[in-house]
This record gives sequence, structure tokens and C-alpha cells, in this order.
Amino acid sequence: VSRSAGARHVDVDAVVVGGGAAGMVAARDLARAGASVALLDEHHELGGQYYRRRSGAVLVRDGDLRPRGTRLAAEVRAAGVAVHTATTVWGVGDDRRTVLATRAAGDGVLRVRGTTAVVATGAHERSVPFPGWQLPGVVTPGCALHLATIDRVPVGRRTAVAGSGPFLLPVACALLDVGVEVVGVFEAGRPYRPDRRALDAARYPRRLVELGGYLARLARAGVRVHQGWHVAAAHGDPAVEGIRLRGPGGREREIAVDAAAVGFGFRPNTELLALFGAEVRPDPATWDLVPVCDELGRTSVPGLVAAGEARGVAGVHAATVRGALAAVAAAEHLGLRGDDEIDPRLLRRARAADAFARLTAARYPVPHRLVAAAPDATLVCRCEGVTAGEVRAAAATGWNDMDATKGASRAGMGPCQGRQCAYAVAELVRQRTGTAPRRVFSPQMPLKPVRVAELLAGTAPSTATATPAVPAPPAASVGSGGSTNGRSPGTAVPGVGAP
Amino acid sequence: VGGVSARSDAVGGVVVHVDGRAVPAVDGQTLLGALLAQGHRVLRHNPVTGEARAGYCGMGVCFECEVEVDGRAQVRACMEPVRDGQRVRLGPATDGAAAGNGAARPDVVAP
Repeated sequence: VSRSAGARHVDVDAVVVGGGAAGMVAARDLARAGASVALLDEHHELGGQYYRRRSGAVLVRDGDLRPRGTRLAAEVRAAGVAVHTATTVWGVGDDRRTVLATRAAGDGVLRVRGTTAVVATGAHERSVPFPGWQLPGVVTPGCALHLATIDRVPVGRRTAVAGSGPFLLPVACALLDVGVEVVGVFEAGRPYRPDRRALDAARYPRRLVELGGYLARLARAGVRVHQGWHVAAAHGDPAVEGIRLRGPGGREREIAVDAAAVGFGFRPNTELLALFGAEVRPDPATWDLVPVCDELGRTSVPGLVAAGEARGVAGVHAATVRGALAAVAAAEHLGLRGDDEIDPRLLRRARAADAFARLTAARYPVPHRLVAAAPDATLVCRCEGVTAGEVRAAAATGWNDMDATKGASRAGMGPCQGRQCAYAVAELVRQRTGTAPRRVFSPQMPLKPVRVAELLAGTAPSTATATPAVPAPPAASVGSGGSTNGRSPGTAVPGVGAP
Repeated sequence: VGGVSARSDAVGGVVVHVDGRAVPAVDGQTLLGALLAQGHRVLRHNPVTGEARAGYCGMGVCFECEVEVDGRAQVRACMEPVRDGQRVRLGPATDGAAAGNGAARPDVVAP
């Protein structure tokens, strides 16, 4: 480890990015196998989203939300993993082995070079834009859940839970637990009806019992699950005051609410894998980028392993197994493990989790029709204020790929880097051009906004005054409309060049 | 929005200063939760459109809940634990026609 004012370099056998279920398991197993391991996560505590942990007085007062996650975090530390929390990874160094990060403390750039890297960056929620979705009080179901379970704060007094996916049910239950009046669960699809696929689900009795438990809790509270309904619009000033719901046959209902939790499942976070140079492809049903990898998670880049939801959304059980498989792959790369057989139980569990994920995806299909139904005035890119009409116009003028549409419309250029709008833009472009996107927004450094002062910390004082310096976009995306906004002069910060 | 958390007299009560006003919070909460519990439904205005915004994703992805904390700009409230004595400044209202994103964030690199 070397230190110069504000800049730090760390060399390890394995760098693991993401401290959720997959990252914790991978880091723990690698450390136990004898590797030096650094685990980086953006949150102040290990756990990721599913195992997000209570802390402080909330923990003392209300108890541990998920003891399994707390045990995992303790095992990670006990195994000797160097844990860097509150550390945001936003880039990859020229050598494609070094991850670049900044810490919430604001003390400069942290560079961690690994002989092998495990990317367990998880997933984020899929949004489908509708008029008013940018209003305060309209949140993702995950946001409403964290507020209820971690902060113990109700997102609103009277709240609708809407979108699609099994996740809506535990979110509605958690809202009830903190005293929210849940006006209904509005599921865009029709997943809860007996058919052939429901019989397939019977092969996963524990998952069915879980689902049944949520449905029973909602029924006891008088909360109905309405199938075939979606939020067509939200209104209010300055925050949401009501929503318009649209159901079967175009029927509409207005409901007064002071919050709405709306989301359509999850999208894998694969930007870092792509920055590393791993081959990623759009999923043929969702347009989400997923890495091309083998059963262990080995990507097209030797030594780079994907784990957890970053391999494709499959839930916490799959993430845990994939973390263990990633550790096997990384340990092999490090020579810490012979080519002895992988525990067949691990592979069986991985295959079962994958099969259940396919079943779930088929049961809750992404409702592309809702993107088609979004009026032209609907905001698509929340950051840059780009509407559906503007994206449609950009796609119609021959800008028939995602990066060109981004360049022409600015959709996806804001601080969220297109994470919120990439799906909608991909689907709008597809609807306009008639062809499935071959690629979705190319990731660019920094993956998350970074303060210039932090990038310059540790460099020579003369450099620090030569503002503003910005990392160059990856060479592969120059000229493809990736950065036309005039905010990126393209001057590389010394030592923080593009891959 | 009142809420389970608004019990500043309970064990773990801390005080956060929001735009100069002392508001109660509970140690262990995120700033996003503490602000919402005290009725702060609007946290900032989008620099391009001027529209009111607040926390959306709750997991550090969307950057909609950015506020200033102890002089640090662009801190995501959903990622920031509350601390006793913390000084928070909510985003000012902006004129969307006048303020481009770049003008509003001169010290931040965003692609």
C-alpha cells in the first residue's frame, strides 16, 4: 500500500466490487482460501440491497432486520477481507486490472489493483416512465421498502404500490408494518392465476410459501391485488397528490395518494463489467445488458468474474450461490485451487435458482406496451429533462442506435448515466426502428459523478490549478454520440486515463 | 408525513440542522428518511427543468436526493447516515430556462 496526499494504491490478489450477498460470499470464500482480498461498496455498511442492515439506535430499538446478512458481514471481516465501505467505484484504470474509486470522506482517489476481479455490482429497479413519475412522492418500491425497514419512516400516509413483479408484495407488507394505508397493489400483468406455469412454480414450494404469506398478510389488512392495472399518470404540486390508474379495457380510476411506489423488476448493473472490457449483450426480452459468462461467472476477460445480480437478475438465493461460484473461479485464476471437482450441490443449487429466475421472468414479462403508451410529453430522462417525444423524434431521424439517440437527444447523459431511462430509451428506439437494440448505452467514466477536486487530489499542485480536467471517454465510444454535451473537454487526468 | 421515527425523545435521538432549522432524527437513519419523516417532501429542483424533485431510488442510483451536507455539495441523502449536529442545505429553486446542468454543477464531472 502506498500513500501520497489524497491518492492511494492498493495491490491485492482479488478485488471484489459490491458488498451485497454475492460480493460478501465471494470475498469471504477467497480470503478463506488464502487470497488477499479488498471488498469495495458504496454504502456505509456491508449488505447491499437485500441484506441492507439497520444500524445505530434503529437497530437497538427495532432489532436486526436480516441476521443472515449480519452474520455474512461478520464472516467477511473475520476472514481478513480489507473492507472499504462508503467507497464508490466509478472507473477502471488503463491496465484493466485497477478499479478507481472515491470515498464519501472525500480524501482523493483510491486505486485497487487485483490479479483477479469479482464484479458483484447487483441490480437497480426498472422504471417505465409515465406522466408525473418525476414528482416528489413517486418512488421505486425499493426506496419505499428501505424507508420502511431501515429508516422506519412511512413513505406516505396513503400509498399505492404498482408496477410488476413479486417484489411488490413484500414492499406492500413492509408499508403496512409502519402504518401506511396501502390503497392497493396494482400489478400490470396477470401473474396470480392458475395455469400451466403456476404448476411449474409448484416445484419451488419454499418460494410459493413465501408468496402465499405476503398475499395472506395483504388480505388480512384488506389490501387488494389488482391485476392488469397500471399507473397511467401522477399529478400534484409540488409533490404527488393523486394517480390515474388504467385497467382492463381501458377503464380508468383516480385515487388520491401522497406517495406511490412504482417499479417493474430489476436490471443488472453491468457498466463496470463493460468498462473492464467484458463482452455484454442485450437480453432479448428486456434489452438489459448481461455479461457473456460461463457457469462460474467467468467473463470474456481472463481473471474477470461476474457474480450475483450483475450476471442477470435472479434473486438473493442465486446471488449467494453465484458468489461462491465466483470465488471458485477467482481462486483457480490465482492458483489457489487445483482443478478438482466443484461441489455438485453448488452447481445444482445454481441451476435451480436460474430455472426459477426464468420462470419468474416469464410470469412477470416487461410490459413494453406501457412504453408505447407513454404520451410524447412524458419525461423519459429525468436528469436532462428529455421527453418521450424528443427520443422518438431522435430515433425517427435515422439515429437508429442507442448511443446515437443519446447524442441527439441528451437522454442518458445526466448524473444517473442512463440507469433510470436506458430501458425506456431502448424500447422507444425499438418501437420506432422496428429492430431490437444491438447495444444499450455504452458506459463511460466516471460511472458516477466525481468531484474534480477529488480527482486532482494527490497530483502536482500545478496540475490542480489547471482546471477543469475530465477523464476522456473510452476510445470505443468516441464518435458514437457518447459525449456531445460540451461538458467533457476530454482532457485526461494524469493516471486516470480511459481503458 | 409524521412517522415512526419522529420520536426525538427516544434513545438515539439526534438533531440535524436543515436550512438552519433544528429537526429531530434517529441515529441509524439515512438523511433521506430523516428529512421525509420531518415533512421535507421536496429536496431540490432539477437544474434543467426547474421541477421539484426528491428521493426516488433510495439506493444511490438516481441522484435525485442530492443535498449539501456540512459544506459538501451533491451528497445523496439516501446514502448518508444522519449525525448529530449535521448541517444540511436543501437544493435551491432554480430557473430551469437559465440554468443548464453544467452551469449548476461546475465542480462535478458527470459524463
